Amino acid sequence: MGEKSERYQNRIEILQGTLDLLILQTLQWGSRHGYGISVAIRNRSGELLQVDTGSLYPALHRLENQKWIKAEWRISENKQRAKYYRLTATGKKQLTRERSKWSQLSDAIAGVLQPEE
Amino acid sequence: MNFWRRKKCEEELEAEVQSHLQMAAREGVDRGAEPREAEQAARREFGNVGLVKEFTRDVWGGRWLGDITVDARYGIRMLLKNPGFAIVAILSLALGISATTAMFSVIYGVMVNPYPYANSDRMVHLVANDAHGNRRFFINLTGPQLQQLRQATSVESSAAMDEWALTTTEGDLPENVEAVYLTSNAFVHFGVPTLLGRGLLPSDAPEGQDPENVAVLGYQFWQRHYGGDPDIVGKNIQLVHKSYLIVGVVRPRFTWGDGEVYLPLKLTADPVRTYFPMIRLKPGVTRAVVNAEFQSLVEQFAKETPTHFPEHFRVAVEGLNDHFVTDIGGTLSLLLGAVALLLLIGCGNVSILLLARGTARQHELAVRSAIGAEGSRLVRQLLTEALMLSFTGALLGVALANSLVKLIVNWLPQFSFPHEATISINLPVLLFSVGLALLTGIVFGISPALQSARPDVAQVMQANTRKITAGVHGRRTHTILIAGQIALTLLLLAGAGVAMRGFVRMMNVNLGYDPHNVMSVGIPVHDNTYTTWEARRAYFHQLLQKVGAMPDVVSAGISTNATPPNNGWQQRFEISGKPMAEQQLGRFNVISPEYFAVLRVPLLQGRIWDESEVMRGAKLALINQTLARQYFPNGDAVGSEIRVPGLKGEPPFNLAVAGSDGWFQVIGIVGDARDDGMRNPIKPSVFVPYTIMMPQYTQILVRTNVPPLTILRAVREQIRSVDPDQQAARNVRDLDGWITTQPEWEQGHLVASLFAGFAILALALAATGLYSVISYAVGQRTGEFGIRMALGAGRRDVLLMVFRSAAISVGGGVLTGVVLTITLNRVLARWIQDSSLDALVLAGVILLMVATASLSCFIPARRASSIDPVVALRYE
Repeated sequence: MGEKSERYQNRIEILQGTLDLLILQTLQWGSRHGYGISVAIRNRSGELLQVDTGSLYPALHRLENQKWIKAEWRISENKQRAKYYRLTATGKKQLTRERSKWSQLSDAIAGVLQPEE
Repeated sequence: MNFWRRKKCEEELEAEVQSHLQMAAREGVDRGAEPREAEQAARREFGNVGLVKEFTRDVWGGRWLGDITVDARYGIRMLLKNPGFAIVAILSLALGISATTAMFSVIYGVMVNPYPYANSDRMVHLVANDAHGNRRFFINLTGPQLQQLRQATSVESSAAMDEWALTTTEGDLPENVEAVYLTSNAFVHFGVPTLLGRGLLPSDAPEGQDPENVAVLGYQFWQRHYGGDPDIVGKNIQLVHKSYLIVGVVRPRFTWGDGEVYLPLKLTADPVRTYFPMIRLKPGVTRAVVNAEFQSLVEQFAKETPTHFPEHFRVAVEGLNDHFVTDIGGTLSLLLGAVALLLLIGCGNVSILLLARGTARQHELAVRSAIGAEGSRLVRQLLTEALMLSFTGALLGVALANSLVKLIVNWLPQFSFPHEATISINLPVLLFSVGLALLTGIVFGISPALQSARPDVAQVMQANTRKITAGVHGRRTHTILIAGQIALTLLLLAGAGVAMRGFVRMMNVNLGYDPHNVMSVGIPVHDNTYTTWEARRAYFHQLLQKVGAMPDVVSAGISTNATPPNNGWQQRFEISGKPMAEQQLGRFNVISPEYFAVLRVPLLQGRIWDESEVMRGAKLALINQTLARQYFPNGDAVGSEIRVPGLKGEPPFNLAVAGSDGWFQVIGIVGDARDDGMRNPIKPSVFVPYTIMMPQYTQILVRTNVPPLTILRAVREQIRSVDPDQQAARNVRDLDGWITTQPEWEQGHLVASLFAGFAILALALAATGLYSVISYAVGQRTGEFGIRMALGAGRRDVLLMVFRSAAISVGGGVLTGVVLTITLNRVLARWIQDSSLDALVLAGVILLMVATASLSCFIPARRASSIDPVVALRYE
């Protein structure tokens, strides 16, 4: 996909590479639909992170392709038909990996950013 | 990802997006917004729905499929924008494919195993050839001889048949029924099960008894006479007042002897009575061995029944299809060659069109390339377009092929192909033609894309350079393709010219008789009726009197075996006092004196028989001019004596006057009339009174003052008034009709019309090909012409310039075509009989080709010469 994937990643306002982690993390507490995921990320980030739909849906479909999440059509609490995503077993493993990667990265960045004494 | 799954994904994505929007809007409403505002806000927040979907789709992969849909849509738009191009290309392919497939299918149907019979490749006829290997006749054998034949070591099984015309005596007029009598083992011999009921069984003709009155119906007769009644088995059919129990109906392809009813045959030991043997050889026996065995066997038979055989003969077996292959095989192959040329020309046309268009689109391709299209993507686009053309052409071709096959089958000479054959579209050839069409599309469709896959964008984009001088590139390919097309077209035109000239020559041949307003009514006499010479003479005389007295009849005469243009029995004859030549063969005709008046054949010398001479069977003969000139160069024919040693009666079938094989005095000479078909030179003919030899069959020639077939019913009523059971033979024709059913006429007609049709198509294709190339070249050089005219060139100069550019390809093509034609002339001459390429045909063909080419050039050339230089230079 090379060149093509760059195109939408450029549009991500969230830090590059972290959207997958956020989605997987959001789904850890139960299955959600696309809109639910974006609301959850927004809320839990204190309205700071806005997920662009142009990134969210391609990401969801890509994660589904990689079998980290699984989609099913269900009726929502508002009696609406909606596509719900839930974490799979491999998805949970992936989440662990992504989390540890993220904590390493944030430690590393924190280290770099620490003012020299 | 296949199309259907993709469609489902697409729907789900749409639903997912919609549910997102609805949920967002609902939340807005929950927060207290107006529903409409909330909805708009949700949309705004979501962003560009199309774009989101597009990005998501990218994740799915398999984008090429979507691209193909896009390509196809774009392709259709491009083709519709230029419908002339599309129509010409599609028609070129369709015509080539359909003509080739149809022609090959006919050939395959006729030539390759057309028979439904078991092991038909080992089934043979027994023929007697002369010393040169020319077939003289099919050998018929007596009952005891057939028994001996069955014992021959090379024979696996054999059966015998006989045929005669019977009548159904159920309607108001007796109807003719062609009966084929088969020995009771015949259905086992053929090995074809019946459609209804059963075939004939050994119990139908028990040893030493008369055969049972049972009948098996032919399929067509069952359809025609009984409307395909499924409960026909068990009913009865009346044939000449005898009731036959219908025990079965044969399958449609079982048409042995074109029988309408199949009846059991009982072989008798009568040495006069002969039957037609049907033989299946043992597997693995060579023809040479078989022929040698049969030669000695038949020589022995000839000693027993010398009248049934000529003095010298070579026995040979002939496969069922052999004579069809020799008769029409060459003709059909020639036509196949013609259609193959047509297919090539059609494919050539498509390649020219695609190339010309591809080059004209260089600019478009360069622009698309410049704004980021990948090379492979451009190739795919052009490929899609080319394949769409090819596929449409192929589909249309398949549809056309089907109707063309039917047309050709209708035109096939009636007896030039086995009626067992089922002629239908041949799948492998259809696939081959379609494949060739698609390949043409692929190769020539993408070649411009390959040229511009890495185009020198900058150069092509400079629009003005494009218009001023067309690159030499591609021009050579065009020249070669056009020249090739013209050469092949010229070859086809020459072939058609030769065929048509041969046919016209045959139609204009001097017949020597007047066929207009004359018909020949065949009268098959039933078994065991009028079995004495006196009775049959009286019967024939009475028939002639009745018909001759009818109001619209000008004159009528008996022509037992003498209806032209192919008449008389081939017999060896002797002339008194002259040594006999080895091959002294002539046509021996038995007729009544009115014959010459009815046909308007002039009496040149001497006299014709009078009534009493005819009634007593006087041994007086007339001869034709050819015989007189060949054997009596001194003009002393009248008064000489002539003898036909083979002329012996075989009662009760052939009733001859006493001493019929003795000497006849020549009393007159008549003018030459065609007696061996339309093509062969006229053969020596001898005419004697019909009372000399009366077989179980005669014909009455009727000259009328109205179209003759209109009074046929009245004639049949007159015939019935003499004998209530007497029918007229089926397929009564007027003498013009007799000419058109001659095999050489039908074959000439088939070749000339199909060849001409194919040649006209080829000419049209070549003309459009040339026109497209010139138009395209003119379009490319618009700027150049503009400049030249601005600098003072006249219209004439521009016109000439265009013509000059076409001259090389047209001239080269014509020259190549002429060389090809002359080289292949020998092949043509062998297959189109009566034809030779003469200067007139060749000149005419060249003229036609050059004229057509000039016209194709003239239209675009005129357009070029009427360019307004100002417009041309500003153009772009």
